[in-house]
Amino acid sequence: MDRTFAAISDPTRRGILQRLGRGDASISDLAALFDMTLTGMKKHVALLEDAGLVATEKVGRVRTCRLGPQRLDAEAAWMHTYQQMVDARLDRLGKFLERTKGEAS
Amino acid sequence: MSAATKAASKAKVTTPTDREIRIERVFDAPRDRVWRAFTDPKLLAQWWGRGNKLVIEKFELERGGHWRFVEHGPEGKHGFEGRFREVTPKDRVVQTFEWDGMPGYVIIETMELTDLGDGRTKILTVSLFHTTEERDGMLQSGMEEGLNQSYEALDRLLATMD
Repeated sequence: MDRTFAAISDPTRRGILQRLGRGDASISDLAALFDMTLTGMKKHVALLEDAGLVATEKVGRVRTCRLGPQRLDAEAAWMHTYQQMVDARLDRLGKFLERTKGEAS
Repeated sequence: MSAATKAASKAKVTTPTDREIRIERVFDAPRDRVWRAFTDPKLLAQWWGRGNKLVIEKFELERGGHWRFVEHGPEGKHGFEGRFREVTPKDRVVQTFEWDGMPGYVIIETMELTDLGDGRTKILTVSLFHTTEERDGMLQSGMEEGLNQSYEALDRLLATMD
């Protein structure tokens, strides 16, 4: 979950997801679009790939990026993460209530 | 774990629309205790964060009040905040929820507690997602509608002038 948080908390990375939602793009396409060096763009893509939001494939000298297996854009990824977060929080509440049962408070 | 606590921890998650998440869960605790766990900052800090240190920077539990929690995790800080829209003790809280990482993506959270009468409490949370894009879209369509209404009024006026 923290990986998704890290991946979507940056406006450039949200932009990349938005762009890939409209179609595949190479690292150099993305670097040009966001006015960034190839190295800089590779780092952003690596973070997104790490979170499973982007998949890349190298054919010849070109690395093509597309949305990951879950096909989530930034907003959908946030909704998904948020749901997991609320669910996990309620789990912790349940455990907390169990743990503090009978305690005077 | 007993069968009763197992049943108590089961969550029902549904998504009535693609903008809405509904989570229903039954807790093996009376409503008073559940309400305190949500509204006493000292208790809240013990379970709200994901096992990380949670700093409750603001918690003004009243209509229009501001809340802000910051989770201090190993990979950095995550701030969450919002405003209370409705606070009905032991019964219902409506608040906005925003994560610092995605500013402008506001979620409206409604939480309802129901006393099940047997020492258990049901919590229903409904989360409604709004985005800046969506707000802008609504604004545009609203303006369009307004414009159409003006045109229709103009048409009617012109018709009476014939």
